[in-house]
Amino acid sequence: MFNYLLRRLLYAPLIIAGVMFITFLLFFVVQKPETMARNILGKRATPQTTYDWLHKRGYDKPLFFNVGQTRSAPDGHPFASRGLFDTVFFNQMWKLATFDLGVSDVSGRELNEVFREGALPSLLLMLPAYVAGFFMATGLALYLVFVRNSALDAAGVFVCVALMSIPAMVYIIFGQAVVALSLNYFPAFGFELKDWSSMRFLLLPVSLIVVMNLGHDTRLYRAVFLEEIGQDYVRTAQAKGASNSRLLLVHVLKNGMIALITFVVAHLPLLILGSLLVENFFGIPGLGNLLINAIHTSDLAVVRATTFLTSILYIIGLTVTDICYALVDPRIRLS
Amino acid sequence: MNWSDWAQNFLVVAGIGFVVWIVMHGSRSDRWQRAWSRLRRDKVGIVAGLAIALYLAIGALEMIQIPTGSGGSATILALLLRGIPAEDTYSAPLASTSFSLAKPKPLHGRHLLGTDALGKDVLVQTLRACRTALIIGGMTSAIYIPLGTLFGIFAGYFRRWIDDVIQFTYTVLYSIPEILLLISILLVLGEKSLGKMSLALSITAWVSLCRLIRGETMRQTERPYIAGARALGQSHWNIIIHHLLPNVMHLVLINLVLGFSNLVLAEAMLSYLGVGSPIGTASWGNMIDGARGELSREPAVWWTLTSATAALFGLVLALNLLGDSLRRAFDPKRG
Amino acid sequence: MKKIPNFRARSLVGALGVCLLSACSNDPHSAPLHTLRPDGSPWVVRYSYLPDEVRSLDPQVSYDMVSRMVLEPVQDCLLEYHVMKTDPYEVVPCLLAAMPERTLNADGTVDYLCKLKPGVLFHDDPCFGRPGREVVAGDIHFSFQRMCDARNACPVFANLAEYVAGMKEAAEAAKANGGAFDYDTMKVRGVEVLDAHTFKLHLLQPYPQILYWMAMHFTAPVAREAVEYYDGKEHAGEPGTRPLFKFHPVGNGPFQIVEWKRGQRFRLVRNERYHTTVFPSGGWPPERAAVDAPLAGHALPLVDEVQLSIFRELLPIWLLTRQGYLDRMGVQKDAVNSVVTSASELAPEYAARGMKLEKAVEVSTFYMSFNMQDPLLGQNKKLRQALSCAYNPQGFIDLLYGGVAPVARQLVPPGVFGFQKDFQNPYGFNLEKARRLIAEAGYPDGRDPKTGQPLEITMDTVAAGAEERQLAEYEQRQLEQVGVRVRVIENTFARMTEKLDQGNFQIGAGSGWGADYPDPENFFFLFTSTNFPPAGQNTSRFKNAEYDRLFAQMATMENSPERLELVKKMNALLIEECPIILHFNKAYYLISQPWAPLTHLNMMLEGGFKYLPIDQALREKKRHEWNPVSRWPLVAALGFVGAALGCGIYVNRSRNV
Repeated sequence: MFNYLLRRLLYAPLIIAGVMFITFLLFFVVQKPETMARNILGKRATPQTTYDWLHKRGYDKPLFFNVGQTRSAPDGHPFASRGLFDTVFFNQMWKLATFDLGVSDVSGRELNEVFREGALPSLLLMLPAYVAGFFMATGLALYLVFVRNSALDAAGVFVCVALMSIPAMVYIIFGQAVVALSLNYFPAFGFELKDWSSMRFLLLPVSLIVVMNLGHDTRLYRAVFLEEIGQDYVRTAQAKGASNSRLLLVHVLKNGMIALITFVVAHLPLLILGSLLVENFFGIPGLGNLLINAIHTSDLAVVRATTFLTSILYIIGLTVTDICYALVDPRIRLS
Repeated sequence: MNWSDWAQNFLVVAGIGFVVWIVMHGSRSDRWQRAWSRLRRDKVGIVAGLAIALYLAIGALEMIQIPTGSGGSATILALLLRGIPAEDTYSAPLASTSFSLAKPKPLHGRHLLGTDALGKDVLVQTLRACRTALIIGGMTSAIYIPLGTLFGIFAGYFRRWIDDVIQFTYTVLYSIPEILLLISILLVLGEKSLGKMSLALSITAWVSLCRLIRGETMRQTERPYIAGARALGQSHWNIIIHHLLPNVMHLVLINLVLGFSNLVLAEAMLSYLGVGSPIGTASWGNMIDGARGELSREPAVWWTLTSATAALFGLVLALNLLGDSLRRAFDPKRG
Repeated sequence: MKKIPNFRARSLVGALGVCLLSACSNDPHSAPLHTLRPDGSPWVVRYSYLPDEVRSLDPQVSYDMVSRMVLEPVQDCLLEYHVMKTDPYEVVPCLLAAMPERTLNADGTVDYLCKLKPGVLFHDDPCFGRPGREVVAGDIHFSFQRMCDARNACPVFANLAEYVAGMKEAAEAAKANGGAFDYDTMKVRGVEVLDAHTFKLHLLQPYPQILYWMAMHFTAPVAREAVEYYDGKEHAGEPGTRPLFKFHPVGNGPFQIVEWKRGQRFRLVRNERYHTTVFPSGGWPPERAAVDAPLAGHALPLVDEVQLSIFRELLPIWLLTRQGYLDRMGVQKDAVNSVVTSASELAPEYAARGMKLEKAVEVSTFYMSFNMQDPLLGQNKKLRQALSCAYNPQGFIDLLYGGVAPVARQLVPPGVFGFQKDFQNPYGFNLEKARRLIAEAGYPDGRDPKTGQPLEITMDTVAAGAEERQLAEYEQRQLEQVGVRVRVIENTFARMTEKLDQGNFQIGAGSGWGADYPDPENFFFLFTSTNFPPAGQNTSRFKNAEYDRLFAQMATMENSPERLELVKKMNALLIEECPIILHFNKAYYLISQPWAPLTHLNMMLEGGFKYLPIDQALREKKRHEWNPVSRWPLVAALGFVGAALGCGIYVNRSRNV
């Protein structure tokens, strides 16, 4: 067991290093820092101000290895080099590794602070949606298993598939147009974090996220429960005369839950990222919205830091899931 | 229509041919024949299959070029629908004047599903967009299915360092949020095209297939017939081609069908984020994306959104249902 | 795990939902800071919006429109645009007691003597130990020093240093000092402080545009205490870190920032001690007299609080305006054209609500650039002219601007000196002429005579959203009317900039220039040969010695008939050479709510919030009328869920027993 744990834990930093390398490649090849600087500095940027901007952020250095090539200032003033590894790549990696996320390329704000501010709205949106969605999907899935092999079951599965087949944008456009605008139940846009009245901003987006995922989750959970029902112990219980509902609610639910919870735990850390589309449509200032804007304004620092944080969170989720599995199912420890 | 269009069409035809080949190849085995006999009795599956065939046919009409004299050429679909006149701007379904409170102008003809901002017939656009969806789905599948399958089998069969490398690669890719990865790859690739979008999508799509195939291969290799083949001194290549591949092929087929639906939805999502289909390409994603502004008009322009959503919904639903049916047919216990 | 009370839980949630809904409202705004003022009168709030997040509020650094929208109410400048006079625009004193007195010296230099109004106070702020101190001439000198400090990266330093004496020297001194600007020793010679309220501005050569610069916040006074206090660092005995100065400006204007929720909202509150300006007592156009005359001489600002919500997209702005939650909106992009009828009137539905429609033309010109260094387009003037004639901007304007923006027929927009009201662009839309010109250019019917194939031209564009894609398609179709083939290349904003910088394109769609100040120099400099990208904005890479010569002559002249002649000459030259396809002057409709009458429409101001009144009681009433809440869909939905559940339970029972 200990060995297994150790292996999982050692694996994680390797993955993170891989992720960081790929993101660096993607985001520094996408556009040259000079171009970015000019976009941000506006229509009257001179070579000097551009250079100063780059210099301040360390983007004037070579990309990977510092072997004598220098990108010099307009006045021929080269940057002060501190050895082979004084490059954009290694400096960035070192900063990220020490959790110094740096400042936003566009606004110049501390990213640690930006993320702290954005995490709360995202969590407020995603956590209720996730919990409510989980219970609704479990309930519906149990129900479908309950009436398995009937017309009702078939109809239920069909509805689930239909729900999955609608693009997320259509849900949001529809929800915003009908519930917020025609019925005037909720604000069509905006967010505020104050007291219970802030609920009005969240109810509609939360319900939309629940509905969006409902089809997929219900179908998945139903499959898990059906698998459980085929197990020997269920048949034994059935032979002993347990009723259908007891069978489901006691045996199947309990054992199926283990599979579900591990599945759920893996995604839990990612909730903090929020939802790109929903946050963007409803103007919720969470991390999803932050990310979309960062992409639109080419704020690479934000995108980089987000990718880094996400991958860490994901790997944490994955490792926790593995450990959970190992605790629940001793067979896994052997492999 | 230049060479890249031809290449795209060729790839799609090749992709369809590949599917046919998989089916032909697989049909020799008992498992496939049993599945086929079950599928024949599954009405939902048959209807879904027919619907997909219809979409394929429409897409094919838009893909095949025939010369029109005077040096030019046009697709069959364009020739069939050439009688439909172009208007200047929006018009409602079956309206006789253009859609404007300000200056309603008489139209050149009637349009079953109205026209869009540039006066193009929405029905025609919706039908033409089938090609885009098929190209995205088909080309991406043609790239990621062979890759995912082979890597999965390699990892599951050879284990050890090959497994480690492949696992590492896909865990890294999987740890980066999918949307971020897609957007950044598309930004790196530069000028938009359907081919590039397919390439980006296949980079993220092969991961789940590979995992699935790897697991199944591992299970298969523990079965006695593989050990037997090995004991008989068969080469690795022989074992993979003649024993492992046929035994995972049904999973590939199911994954192909379900994955196709995800790809069609992904195109819509990417178009919303501004990295989707290029200008002038009819695509459901572009049409839905435009709907945000159109719905906010007074009175709202709803027909573009509705047509595109309905067409997209039909294809994705049919693919999902067929995928389910296939799964049921191959594995009646779990379906 | 025991039986899950699944059904009961769900109906409970339903019941809770009903309770919540009845307590809910669709008001998207934050509650105002107060409901009553200290004297018992109602606290009046204005709800407006910003199109994007503000990057910096440092007066010497901010250069984008969004930042200016927040800076303008917070930071008064030396001069300001007269809010009512727009044709032509006119600057009047704001922080200054009178217009600066100009003296021409024998050596060609120019001096401006400026006197500050006494008793103007900075906002109360901890950096002063609470009550704000008086604005003095030294603060102006400090602002000029800050522009010279390279660490601030002032975007207009190069422009001003060209004319204001001593700026270059100060910057040099800092550079010699290792980049550190010493504010105690490195003085800017051109800003001579005579006493607490008087200073003299020394210019190296005549530059009448300096007055416009005085109406921009670059030259606005900044308190040194504030810059030093807000350093973004932690300090003993204080919770957290102090914000940076650019996130916490200390101004002297009619409003003070009390809240900045990043990415969401600004809350500005009236500066109780503001007396710098009052509502003008004249100058308004006759049609506004009914609104403006009663306000003449009124103390400013006219409301107590301004909430600026950040809406990055247009849709929510329109939606919230329709619900009465925004007091004014610009109908610009997007398809709100059915709100406006062909007679430039509001659609009856909205007119009946009491909404008002006005047309606002920005001081800007948009165009498409030909790359003059392109081997094909750069060498063939007739081809450029043909394409220019083939393009009909009106359709674009109808699509994008609801038909409101005027077609640009000359480089300078209306309201700027040199604009010729009846000028006709000889290469404006004219398809017959286009066909004739393209034949003369050597490509009859747009085909290359050598190959017989249509000439292929690429057009680079930035197309982020659905509308942009439609527009690019429109542009493509228009140009293709002469028979050529246009291939559209979509770029990200960054890649487009890169291509323009490198001159790696044939036609660049969507170039434009919004005026810094309403002077022809600010438009004609665009096409001078010293203004090539990446440092400059001459995206066409237009190079013409005659044009450059005329520009040098015209640039710093006082407005006069001679200057008008020069402007006309330059305009004719530019249009004949045709390095651009003139497109439009950006414009939009303003829809104002019945409770928020429009007192002015000055496009050199970013909103002019201090001049805008609100009738709060009327707003409450209308909002209530416009947002009826019907309960039946909710009841129907609950009924449906209940029926589905009942049906399910019934099926179970019959199966299970």
